Amino acid sequence: MNQIEYTNENIKFLKDIFRKYYFENKYFPYLYSIEKREFGYRKFDSLVVRHLSFKNIGELVVELVRNVPLDVYYSNAYYGFPSNPINEKQWEGADLIFDIDIKDLNIPCFHEHTYYICNLCGFVNSEQKLCVNCNKGKTYDISIPCKRCFTAIKKEAAKLLEFLRSDLGIEEKFIEVFFSGNAGFHFHVNDPGMRNLDSNSRSSVTDYIIGNGFMCESIGVRKYRNGFMIKLPKSGIMNGWRKKIASSFGINQKSELKLKHLVEASGGYDGFRNEINRITKKFGVHIDSQVTNDIHRVFRLPGSINGKSGLTKTKCDDLESFNPNNDACMLDDSEVYINLKTKLKINLKNNNFKLDNVLEKVPSYVAVYLVCKGLATISKNQ
Amino acid sequence: MSIKLGSSELAKYPFLQEASDYIQETKFDFAEFDRPEMIHIINRAVEKLENELKGKIYSNLDEYEIEIMTFLVSLLLIKSIGLEEVSKKCSLFEAMRVERFLSTDLSVERSSQKKKLLVQKIFQDLFDINIDVDSTSSICKLSVPDYLLRASKMYEQEWKLINRSVKDGYVYLDTDEAVRLIRNELSNLIYTRVKNMKVYEVPILIKSKADELRKKYSGRYVYRNQFKILEYPPCIKHAMEIINKGENLPHSARFMLATYMLAIGKTEEEVIEIFKNSPDYNEKITRYQVEHLAGKKGSHIKYSVPSCDRLRSEDLCFAVKECENLINPIQFGRRKLT
Ligand code: SF4
Ligand SMILES: [Zn+2]
Ligand SMILES: [Zn+2]
Repeated sequence: MNQIEYTNENIKFLKDIFRKYYFENKYFPYLYSIEKREFGYRKFDSLVVRHLSFKNIGELVVELVRNVPLDVYYSNAYYGFPSNPINEKQWEGADLIFDIDIKDLNIPCFHEHTYYICNLCGFVNSEQKLCVNCNKGKTYDISIPCKRCFTAIKKEAAKLLEFLRSDLGIEEKFIEVFFSGNAGFHFHVNDPGMRNLDSNSRSSVTDYIIGNGFMCESIGVRKYRNGFMIKLPKSGIMNGWRKKIASSFGINQKSELKLKHLVEASGGYDGFRNEINRITKKFGVHIDSQVTNDIHRVFRLPGSINGKSGLTKTKCDDLESFNPNNDACMLDDSEVYINLKTKLKINLKNNNFKLDNVLEKVPSYVAVYLVCKGLATISKNQ
Repeated sequence: MSIKLGSSELAKYPFLQEASDYIQETKFDFAEFDRPEMIHIINRAVEKLENELKGKIYSNLDEYEIEIMTFLVSLLLIKSIGLEEVSKKCSLFEAMRVERFLSTDLSVERSSQKKKLLVQKIFQDLFDINIDVDSTSSICKLSVPDYLLRASKMYEQEWKLINRSVKDGYVYLDTDEAVRLIRNELSNLIYTRVKNMKVYEVPILIKSKADELRKKYSGRYVYRNQFKILEYPPCIKHAMEIINKGENLPHSARFMLATYMLAIGKTEEEVIEIFKNSPDYNEKITRYQVEHLAGKKGSHIKYSVPSCDRLRSEDLCFAVKECENLINPIQFGRRKLT
């Protein structure tokens, strides 16, 4: 979907800026094995082009500067023939990619900076219902994530990183963390050992990270007749999820009796299972499993502009100090007049903007952000 | 000092290179199978196959010379019988037989060098899995991807990574589990051996036994032409595929499949027929279970098809777009009719 209001001024303004960006930033240092990837892009009219391939970065940049797409994607998969139809591409493996997004975290402040835009007249409503302006359109929501949102998502990202390093044992050099350019992070794992995993195997990994499907039996609690019995697994309970759960209960390989009491206290097998579900929820990470399990997907290209915000998908070397609204904001600051659809506050490139009037003069990077979000349009009179 | 596999290992693992070497060294010739003293071996091979076809593991273990020969004759028999289902089933049960020996060997063998050698010969040389056995605890350690690529073929929840002992990129398994992990590969190995075997002249004695067995078992395993599948829901399609391949279905999936088929109006006979292809098929038990589900036996309750929710939680759901808003698989495809 595309939130940009399709006016000549908007499209011309964005295209000029995007083109300039791709012309000046033609490096894409995190794009490996380009000749084996499938590329695709979304045009400003929302049309999606897929099954493209490029021999080298130069070819790619020429295409970007010539056609100026709104969003640019490339496959996590490596193909023998990337531009063939899907069944004839010859899959040779795929990076393992994880996606976490602010909207999946249920952060309480989220609705404070969410706007409900009418799909017919473009009016900004304050609630999600029938548009109060035209009485016909339905609303879709867009959000301007705040500091608290970013703090929360960074915490989630740190959890994910820990799973990848400690549990899955993936070496640092194979993990690249990117800010998606809008409201999330993408983790690209290009460990050759993981590349060949099929979709089922990947789903076993995502369930592991989310904390889906832990069985009481894995920690030694089994159904028995009408009750339960304890039999610890031979491979022990002091690694992986078994350990996370054992530690939360304060038990170890020798605590059979304590475990028995714990199960009794929680009301037997079923009660104990509920306890476990609470723990897995707490330690699990909110990743989008469908994204990871798909071995033929296309992902936003690192270094490309996110058409939902005008921010760049940016490598993030230190989660703690990373500031998305500054570090990923790479566009021009020449000024331009915009028409705002609502009053709002926003911080970009470490500047605070308090926009209260219908007509405002703002730096281009602010204009791009708001036009991409569908909250403003470029003014006819400059 | 180099440590070698002994004769008892050759007896248990007659598919190893060492066993073939043995046959080479003795300059054994197929024609010798027509000699009367070989009749004992041929009978033994027949007995083993019949056990396997009945769904039993043949656990007798003899001297290695006999075992290696029996193995060879079994392969010849399977090849000459020439029935796909027989090859599949025998390969699977042969694999399970190996699994039983190997699991015991790995947990009771006291020489850690011997243990390592066994692991190397089977896991590494045959299947290219790096695995390490702890000499005291016998716990096996293998990399996460090596584990996942195999475990993803198993449908039981316990094989999901989350239910495993995982640390620093390794999965820790007890010996039973480690050996179970390669069952499919073992059975494939034996299956392909049979498939690729080039036999120009089968010894007469073996050929006549094979003819007998073919007569006895053909038809029994031929799966009746499948029902016209207009549109089964993906969960059912998936289970059918597994069963048609002659692979094992977890209990929960069997329950789903049977209740579904009964619900859409298949007769009990037809439902039993579906299960004929499972490797551990036993007609009496299957019949009882199906009749039970249909409400004729036991509790006299007719069981209904599990909900999509429940199937999702049991990992049996493979939802597609058309599954949207379904509560139960029996709703699938119905809208098209109205
Ligand atoms: S949604 Fe329902 S019908 Fe569709 S696959 Fe899942 S369980 Fe089967
Ligand atoms: Zn409206
Ligand atoms: Zn917020």
